[in-house]
Amino acid sequence: MTNESQVKPHFTTRRGFIAAAGFGVVGLYFLWAGYGAAPLNIFAGSGESQAPAGGGHGGGHGAAAGPSVEEFRSAAESFIESNKLPDGSVMPRRQAMAEATSMEQMDHAAMGHGPQAEAPAAADKAAKAQAPMDHGGTQGGHGETPPAAGATEAHAEAGPTDIYLMAYQWGYQPAVLRLQANVPYRFRMMALDMTHGASLQLGAGSRIIRLRPGALVEQSFTFTRPGEYLLYCTVYCGMGHDRMQGKIIVTANQPQESSHESASAH
Amino acid sequence: MKAPALTEGLRQLPAGDKRLLKVCFGAALIALTLGVLFGAGTAGTRAGFVDSGPLYGYRMMTAHGVSIFFYWLYFAQAGLLLAFGAVFTVPGGHIAWRPLAWTGLATMIAGFVASGYAVIAGLPLLYDAPPELAGVPSPAVAAFYLGYLLLAAGLFCVAVSGVATVLKPRFDHRIASWPVVSFAAVGWAGLLIVSSIAALNAFLPAARWALGLSPMPSDYSVGWHVLFHNMHYLPLMATVIVWYVLVQAVAGVKSVFGAHLSKIAFAIYLIFVPPTSLYHMFLEPNLAEAVRVIGSLLSLFISVPTVTVFLVIVASLEVHARTHGAKGLFGWIGMLPWRNPAMAAMGMAVVNLAIGGAFSFVLIQEKIAPLLSDTFFVPGYFHFLTVGTVTLTFLAALCYVLPGVTGHALWKPGLLTALPYFITAGLLIFGASGVTAGYLGVPRRVLDVAYDGTAPALWGTLMAGIGIGGVIMAAGLLTYLYGLFRTLWPAPAEDVAGMTLPSVAWGDVTPAATRAWAGPLSVLLLVGAMAFFTALAFEMIQALPLQAAGAMGGH
Repeated sequence: MTNESQVKPHFTTRRGFIAAAGFGVVGLYFLWAGYGAAPLNIFAGSGESQAPAGGGHGGGHGAAAGPSVEEFRSAAESFIESNKLPDGSVMPRRQAMAEATSMEQMDHAAMGHGPQAEAPAAADKAAKAQAPMDHGGTQGGHGETPPAAGATEAHAEAGPTDIYLMAYQWGYQPAVLRLQANVPYRFRMMALDMTHGASLQLGAGSRIIRLRPGALVEQSFTFTRPGEYLLYCTVYCGMGHDRMQGKIIVTANQPQESSHESASAH
Repeated sequence: MKAPALTEGLRQLPAGDKRLLKVCFGAALIALTLGVLFGAGTAGTRAGFVDSGPLYGYRMMTAHGVSIFFYWLYFAQAGLLLAFGAVFTVPGGHIAWRPLAWTGLATMIAGFVASGYAVIAGLPLLYDAPPELAGVPSPAVAAFYLGYLLLAAGLFCVAVSGVATVLKPRFDHRIASWPVVSFAAVGWAGLLIVSSIAALNAFLPAARWALGLSPMPSDYSVGWHVLFHNMHYLPLMATVIVWYVLVQAVAGVKSVFGAHLSKIAFAIYLIFVPPTSLYHMFLEPNLAEAVRVIGSLLSLFISVPTVTVFLVIVASLEVHARTHGAKGLFGWIGMLPWRNPAMAAMGMAVVNLAIGGAFSFVLIQEKIAPLLSDTFFVPGYFHFLTVGTVTLTFLAALCYVLPGVTGHALWKPGLLTALPYFITAGLLIFGASGVTAGYLGVPRRVLDVAYDGTAPALWGTLMAGIGIGGVIMAAGLLTYLYGLFRTLWPAPAEDVAGMTLPSVAWGDVTPAATRAWAGPLSVLLLVGAMAFFTALAFEMIQALPLQAAGAMGGH
């Protein structure tokens, strides 16, 4: 070993400097803090409010203790059956009820009733509409007026619309979902047989979702732009993995009936 | 010019030790050759250059991962551990408990054969082989897990022999204290033993299930993640130990900070590596939020041991070079013996570690996991580490070790000096395509990403980049491997003096009190690159046409 005691080292060659510089990468914490994503954030009061829009608390990713595979399958099949369009795609009807609710609220407001007074009833109606029912392929009669802000408020009051999604070798049910932009949805997802992905290709990036078999995963999403988005598996699940795909068609927020008519015309 | 201590020490080993090392490195090179061939096939299939079909395509992907990630990296580590332990602990040293080491090596080879049978005979399970994917017990599935168990058992025996090789001279009072390399080897062997036990924990229940002796294990993925994390960092720890050894071989330089700091730097691997495994699990749906937070926080510290050893090595080199007249901020780098194949490989390994490290730190932030985990970003960055850093470093070591144990001159050192640049060029094409593909959402482990034409067209273009880069990498690695096989090949012994590689001897004089800025500036650059790619990921998440609200559990 070199006889280092004979020379007085420059500070860049002192042990303390080297040991401190070894921790240099920890400085990345400050960038995380800048995006509100630092663990134990010491620069903000609440990590929740600072989180990136796409991330949310815990990445918007959560598993819930929930139903068994069979219970989930039954609920998902009911959801599909009650929301299926003639072309086989599925369009959850909850938004139609929310739109109707918002119009009722606007009507009541115009007559001097405050919307707050009607909120519990609206939520109750929406919840009833959410329950699996067999109402046939269409439900409408809501006119052509866009719901605008009223619908958003109604959604906010009633909570997001539930979407059931089953993943299995090698496909998804429903395989094609028709949703509306700027409407909150709660995706309730489960892999029925083995680990799968239920990831969304969103143009210049994806939202990667991993599903473990028999574990209910819930994530609340709001699509902010219309478009056709690929739903695909991102966990290798066997030789048919490549063809495991679905589609989510997001349309601009519009009255429910015209959406159904448009889908029927395909 | 005299041969370095590594080569001289290897030459002085008993013939039995040399035979053991030759078999070990021969097995390592065979595993790497197979892994590279199957890797090229996989990349070509993804790019659409060849149509392998799903069965053979995914079998190639499985064989690629199994051969390289399990067998190449661990045969090579086994051999290097025994060689370094025997050479550096005491002059005229030898491998202790050689029969145990032979037993371990034979067991590892048996594991390699069993894994090969499993890949050929069974469904393609990829290298992590979850039981749920296999579906039902079968001999091929049982062979998959038994192969890994045999590898782990063999590694355990070799590591114990390695520890004994280092401990015995101390207990026999032949040395007063351990040299740095011997000290590091004990830590390295300790982690190998821990990993062997982790493998037992992960694969024994699965093997019992595959043999029809017990139900399918429900927690396989947890055991796999624990093992997988150790398997990540063991080769990286081995890499920096090899750098420490090779810097002495190519430049005659030892640490200017003394043995104590180097020993501490190697010891902290044992402290910093095991607790930082949580970031592999950020996409797991049932992971508690507190675990995600702690995982992100701990992961920030995972680079500390590697960066510290890097700084020790670079500062030592720079100070010695300045003492020998180096000018300017980076002029000393030009004075290194770049015509030495080990130096070229090591130099490219450092560059690739910086690139791979910059990308890898994007993934330790739990809020970015939903953008990049399970995408091609992962193989895009980790090939900079597995191929560009670890494999090039191990190949650099073999440029000295194989001539030492065989007495043969290294095959065409000039060509072997050029190959690391060629391999890195392929890696840059592969990695740039892969990381970009990952940011755009291209899934890993999918042979055909067209999705009936519904996927973005750019995905296919990027996969062509994967194929081109993969083929270039494979061509360079196979040429390198041919050279090492030729060096290992049975042939009449040659004069060792004829195989001396270009080197400098900077350690002969006392270093001056001079500055050493290259290391700290490198770390600054690295952190800047990490910050850039992390910020890019945050910006992309925010730009997605999707708002995600909080987790909604609790039913």
